Amino acid sequence: MHDARKASRQEIDRLLAREPVFEDLTCGLRAVSRLPAGLVDETRQVVALARKFNDEVVRPRVLAMERTSFEEPDALPWEFVREANARGFYSLWLPRIFGGKGYAMPTLSDFLEEISSSCLAMANLIGVHYLGVGTLCATWNLRLMNEIFRHVVAGETSGEPCLVSLAVTEPGAGTDVEEVELIDRGQVTCLARKVPGGWVVNGSKVFISNGHLSTWHMVIAYADLKHPSESVVVLAVKTGSPGFSFGRHENKMGQRACPASELVFEDCFVPDDCVCLDLEQVSRHSSHTRKKLAMQVIDYVVSTSRAGVCAFGAGVARGAFEEALRFAAETEVAGRPLIHHEWAQGRLADMYKNAALSRLAFAETNHANALHGMFRPLLWKPFYYLMKVAPAPVLDAWARRVFSSEGATRLARTLFYDRQQEAEYHRTSGWASLAKCVGSDLGVQNCRLAMEFMGMAGLRHDHRMEKHLRDAKLLQIYEGTNQLNRLNLFKCLIARRVPHAVVFEDGRTP
Amino acid sequence: MNVTKQEDLALLAETAQSFAARELASGREVNDRYPFGPFWSGVLDKAFEVGFLHILLPEEWGGMGREVTPLAAVLRAVSEVDASLAGVLFTHALAQEILLAAGGPAGPQHASPDGLHTVREALLACPAFLNPGETEPGLEAARRGEKHLLSGKMDYLVLGGVAARAVVPARTPGRPGYSFFLADLASAGVAVSDPVLSLGLHACPAVDARFERVPAELLGTEGEGHAAFRDAADRMLAAAASMAAGILQGSFREALAYARQRSQGGRQIVHWPEVRMMLADMAVEARVAEMCAGEACRAVDSGLADWRLSCRAAAIHSLELAVKATTDGVQVLGGVGYMKDFGQEKRFRDAQHIQALLGLAPMKKMDLIASLVEGPEALP
Repeated sequence: MHDARKASRQEIDRLLAREPVFEDLTCGLRAVSRLPAGLVDETRQVVALARKFNDEVVRPRVLAMERTSFEEPDALPWEFVREANARGFYSLWLPRIFGGKGYAMPTLSDFLEEISSSCLAMANLIGVHYLGVGTLCATWNLRLMNEIFRHVVAGETSGEPCLVSLAVTEPGAGTDVEEVELIDRGQVTCLARKVPGGWVVNGSKVFISNGHLSTWHMVIAYADLKHPSESVVVLAVKTGSPGFSFGRHENKMGQRACPASELVFEDCFVPDDCVCLDLEQVSRHSSHTRKKLAMQVIDYVVSTSRAGVCAFGAGVARGAFEEALRFAAETEVAGRPLIHHEWAQGRLADMYKNAALSRLAFAETNHANALHGMFRPLLWKPFYYLMKVAPAPVLDAWARRVFSSEGATRLARTLFYDRQQEAEYHRTSGWASLAKCVGSDLGVQNCRLAMEFMGMAGLRHDHRMEKHLRDAKLLQIYEGTNQLNRLNLFKCLIARRVPHAVVFEDGRTP
Repeated sequence: MNVTKQEDLALLAETAQSFAARELASGREVNDRYPFGPFWSGVLDKAFEVGFLHILLPEEWGGMGREVTPLAAVLRAVSEVDASLAGVLFTHALAQEILLAAGGPAGPQHASPDGLHTVREALLACPAFLNPGETEPGLEAARRGEKHLLSGKMDYLVLGGVAARAVVPARTPGRPGYSFFLADLASAGVAVSDPVLSLGLHACPAVDARFERVPAELLGTEGEGHAAFRDAADRMLAAAASMAAGILQGSFREALAYARQRSQGGRQIVHWPEVRMMLADMAVEARVAEMCAGEACRAVDSGLADWRLSCRAAAIHSLELAVKATTDGVQVLGGVGYMKDFGQEKRFRDAQHIQALLGLAPMKKMDLIASLVEGPEALP
């Protein structure tokens, strides 16, 4: 009889390298021993904080805020943003070395899930700030991270919120800007032209979440519109800069409290100091091609942001479940409590299952990011505990000295671009797409189930359920449509199994 | 159906299509702002003038002979553009059906349009999303001579803030079952809320109404309301299936048109296979929903033995198809599909909204199988 314990190391490696590759399927298992144990306690704290915030702010305000958004479609939710700012939510997940409170980034997903279970729009008003933060992190520009993140922290002290947005979508390019294979064939128009001392930007961005509310905007522009994938320039543009203005504020079906803004650039001058990343410059010091670097930047961002969308989905799936459960407990149907109907119990079990599966999907993606992506340095145990115990003044002084030099940024880029293997960013990006589809689809599905379950009661705004449905639909669209995400999942985790498989080519010449 | 009827039906469908194109299309976004924008009284006046409120009535009252097919044709055409008007027509027609089905000395006569000169006088409110056998109606009736007095709360009374009269269910304490009553909403004891902010059909508003000893007329036999509801609801399920088919067709048309003009990755998105697959699904669903609704109407109007089963199956299936397809209808348009500038987000909301017509969707399935397994008498 064969004894598995006698298999040689080489044999095990060979068997596990076979598709599906063991490492692709076991991020959580492999992360367990590498992650700091303090993460559990942090997660407990964050979830408790979110539940308290839900009790005190989100649930009491959600119906009135939504109603206001219908009465005054152009109103901006400054009151909520100031409240979140006063509670420190915009710096809670910024590393302490940049002045933040240093909560581990994966716990942001747990926080967002909780808030989303009450209101997806308010979860976005907090979570989308970290999309901008994540984009700046993905450029590994330590000097600007230090400057802008400290500005966010200062905004909390002064009571003037300093949020960060990501501006990437353009009127003619939505899906295109999420994938380097598509962007060169698309219709991007946001041009950055190099001039002495900086760049001049022209063009517009649309559907920019939190745009009107943000102080800093991470603007993705292109130095060569014919070859955008090789000429990406990431610029930090501050609200109030000459040549930069806000356009319309979209009238959306849901997530109405979170504005989707148009950003307009007309000969907007951005000084060299505010260039987060110039692909051409970075490629001079890198062994990677510009196209590969552009994909790495995108994948660093979407690997975390799509896990965030999954957390939104898990939250709204749970919110729908909670409303349906409450309804079942309080309502009689055909002469007996709905909760006693076996079909209702089965539906509720389905909804509970959907929320739980979404939670597992974002947790696994965050484990992939902890092993191979953006969270890796922060969750490296020695660094993690150093950041927990080092006094703030020491960290501040160290950050001032080290991050002001270009060398620190260059070293970070060597470590996190050049040394990142393709299999690693394919793993984080593939899992993020998987999670994004799972979370958004199951979020919408749970809302559908709850609406069917509640019938007439579910139609009413004051019963909260219909808002969950309207909010949830956007999850299948933003951060790359689910159609794009399925193709990205194929590209990252499946295509290599069939060497002649091509992606993003079908139907090119109809 | 004879040739004359076919010609009449074709003319009616054409009238409904041109009405929708002329009166509904351009104002869809503005009308949908209600209750935060003006109510579309002018559109309802015109719908009244062209006779859309009388379609289900007998021919001597200006209707088309009690057949469901003509009403379904109008609801389908209207729903393709703006299902809110279909919601108004459906609610009114359901109330008429209950008046006619309840029988009794006075019921059917109240359905007559004689002497009703404005849309407000003619419109009937009713709780179109309630199956009173499944969820308690909330109103109680007490006999006072020839009349009854209604007291209690009637949640989500559709058109309750617009119509002059309402057909409502109520229980009589101490008696089994429930009965339908006709009440004048201008009566002193009636208090209605502001329009209830709802998922879809914004221009087909509902209110929460409170009744305090409101005089009302019993329709049919006391305690026998469930039979009238079942007859009316089963017929109206064919109409609900037609609304679903219309919404779905509208969503498919807009998705296809957009996919032809929008480009990503250097090609029209209609050439993206992922988009094509969604469009193919929608094309199939649109055709299937239309066939289901048409077959259900034919079964009712031909008096087929199993017409109830046809109506229930068609409604359950078509309403589910519309919910699924309108989700894809938004998805094909991507970000703009989520915005109010286009019609897709409204169709997404409206499709989900009408799935709740005439009671809980899962209970419709349980009722259908109960009627097959235990017989129609098993139904609540």
